[in-house]
Amino acid sequence: MQTYLSENNLKTLLDRLIAGGKRVIAPRLDAGTPLYGPLADAAGVVLDQLPRRSAKEAFFPVCEDIMSYDKEGQQVTLTDVNPASFPETVLVGVRPCDAAAIPVLDAVFSWDYKDEFFLERRKKTTIIGLACTQADDACFCTAVGLSPADPKGSDLFLTPVEGGGYACETFTEKGETLVNGNRELFAEPNGAPALPPAEPQTEKFDLKKVKAWLDDHFEDPAWDGIAVRCVGCGACAFLCPACHCFDIVDEGTEKAGKRRKSWDACGFWKFTHHASGHNPRDLQPKRYRNRIMHKFKYYDDKFGQTLCTGCGRCIRFCPVGIDIAAIVSEISKK
Amino acid sequence: MTNTIDTSIYAAVTEAIQGEVRRILSEGSVSAVVGYAAARRKGSAQPIVITDAARAEELVFSAACVNNLAVYLTKAKKEIPKTGKIGIVVKGCDLKALVGLMGESQLKREDLYLIGVPCAGVLASTAQPSQELTGDTIAPKCRECDARLPAGCDFVPDQRPVSIELAGKYSAEIARLEAMTPAERWAYWKEQFKKCIKCYACRQVCPFCFCEQCLCDRNKPQMVETTPRPAGNTAWHIVRAMHLAGRCAGCAECERVCPMDIPLNLLNRKMAKELKELYDYEAGFEVREKGPLAMYDEKDDQSFIK
Repeated sequence: MQTYLSENNLKTLLDRLIAGGKRVIAPRLDAGTPLYGPLADAAGVVLDQLPRRSAKEAFFPVCEDIMSYDKEGQQVTLTDVNPASFPETVLVGVRPCDAAAIPVLDAVFSWDYKDEFFLERRKKTTIIGLACTQADDACFCTAVGLSPADPKGSDLFLTPVEGGGYACETFTEKGETLVNGNRELFAEPNGAPALPPAEPQTEKFDLKKVKAWLDDHFEDPAWDGIAVRCVGCGACAFLCPACHCFDIVDEGTEKAGKRRKSWDACGFWKFTHHASGHNPRDLQPKRYRNRIMHKFKYYDDKFGQTLCTGCGRCIRFCPVGIDIAAIVSEISKK
Repeated sequence: MTNTIDTSIYAAVTEAIQGEVRRILSEGSVSAVVGYAAARRKGSAQPIVITDAARAEELVFSAACVNNLAVYLTKAKKEIPKTGKIGIVVKGCDLKALVGLMGESQLKREDLYLIGVPCAGVLASTAQPSQELTGDTIAPKCRECDARLPAGCDFVPDQRPVSIELAGKYSAEIARLEAMTPAERWAYWKEQFKKCIKCYACRQVCPFCFCEQCLCDRNKPQMVETTPRPAGNTAWHIVRAMHLAGRCAGCAECERVCPMDIPLNLLNRKMAKELKELYDYEAGFEVREKGPLAMYDEKDDQSFIK
C-alpha cells in the first residue's frame, strides 16, 4: 500500500502512539550523542543523523536482566524475567543498513535455541524504515548488495520526497495495521518525486569470491598484515547492527542478585579464554580473522546470508582506522 | 577562514620521515618501524608496521595521524616484532607516553629509534579525516599542547618550533566542574558513565593499560561488575582514573576513541592537576624511575591524614 505522510503527521502519529501506551523508539540525542531510545514525545526525534549504535538494541539490549535470585536462610527463590511483560513497540527512523540486519539476526536467535528475549521483542515491534539521502565515505551498503532505499526488514518504509514529507509504503501486515489504525494521517500519494537516494561510493564486493577465498585461507600470512593494527577492543562489534555475541553473568551478593545478559565481542582476548588457561585465539590476528570469517563465511555457510549490512560504523569508530570495506575489497581481489 | 591552522610543514615532515625510514631499514639499524600510512577514506591515515625499506614511501604524516603509536610497543601488543631496535613516529604527546613507559621499565631507550614529529595538531574525533585543520576541527588535547616539538628524539624532520594560540578546553571544563557542588559533580559523572557500553576501547588504546590481565576482566572473584550498567561502569572508570593518576601523559586517546563520547581525558587532566598541586609532578620528556604515587618522601603532603 502506497500513501503520503507529512512530517507533521509523522510527529502526530508518534505522539498518538506514545499517548496510546506504545513504546516508541527513535533516534534522539542522548547528552549530545545520537542514539536510538524511547521517546517522551515526538519533538525529540532526530532523523538527520545515523545513530551511533545500531537499532539491534531494541531487541537485544546492551544489558538486560534475565533472572533474579534471593536467598533467605536455606530458601533460594529464582524469578525469571517474563518476556510477556515486554511492551508493544514502534521503532521509527531505522536506516536501511540497520533494518536489513534485523532479519539477519532473526536467523541466529531462532535457530536451534529460540531466544525468547529477542523473539518476543521482535514479535511486538513494528519497524518504520527511512531511506537515506546522504552517505559518507564510510558507508558501503551498496557494496554488500543493499541500498539506501532498500526496505528489507522494514514493516513500513518512508522515502523523503521533494517538497517535504514522505512517500510511504507498507511491506507487512504489521505495517498495514499501523497505517489502517491511523488512516486519517496518511494521504493519497501526491506524486512528488523521491529525493535522490544517497550514493555510497564503495565499489560492490564480489561476495562469492570473498567467501571462496575465505573457504580456503583460514591459515594465510595475509591475516597478520590485515590485523596487525587491531588493538582488541569491542567498539566495532558493539556498534555493528549484525554482531550478536553476548555473555551471561551473575551479579549481586550471596543474598540477592541478577543473572544478566550483555554484549560481548570476539575481538576481546577474554572471549575465547578457556577455564584451563588455554586460549585458542591467543593473538589478535586470529581474533580479527574470526570477525571477517563470521561475517563473510560462517554466517553464509549456516544461514545463507552475509553478516554485514555496510553501515560503516565500525570504520568510522575503529580506534586504529581498520576499514572493513578496504579489507573485504582487498580479499575479493586475491 | 581566519581560524585555519597552518599544516604546510606536514608535507616536508612526510618526505623526511620516508627518507629516514628508508635509510634505517635498509641499513638494518632497526628491525621495524611503526608509523602512519594513508587509508582508503579521503584524507584518512592509519597505523602501519613496516619492516621493508621499499615500503617507506607508504608513510605519511598529516592532521589525520591521530593515533598514539606507543600502544604498539607495550606488552599488550604481541603482534609487533619485539626483537631488535624498533623505529617509531611520535608526536610530543605520544613521546611523553613512551617516556612514562621507560620509567615503568616497560621499554628501554636503547631499543627505540625515535622519529619525532613537529606537530601543529591533529583532527578531533568529531571531524571527518578529509577536513581541514582549524580551531573548530582540532583535537581538544591539541588546544593546550605544550609539546609541539618532541625533545630527545633520534631524528626530528624539521626543528622549526610550531606555536598555536587557542583557548584551552580542558582547563575551562575543569574549572566549570570544580565550581560545582560535589553532588552536582557526581550527577554529571553519573550521567557520563551511564553511557559506557564496556567496549574497552579506552583501555585498549591506552599505552599505560598494559596489564596482561586487567582487574576489570577478573571473574574469580569478580572484582567489579563487568556488565555495562551504572554501578560497574562507574567502578571501571574510577578504577581507571586512579590507576592512571601520575602516569597518564595526556595523549587523550581514551577520549578520542570512546564511541559514546564520554569525556575521559577530563578525568585524567583533573588527576594530573591534583598531582601537579600535591607533588609538583608533570608528565614530560624526562625519564623518571618512580612516579609520585610510587614513592614516599617526607616532604609529601600529609594533610589528608586526619
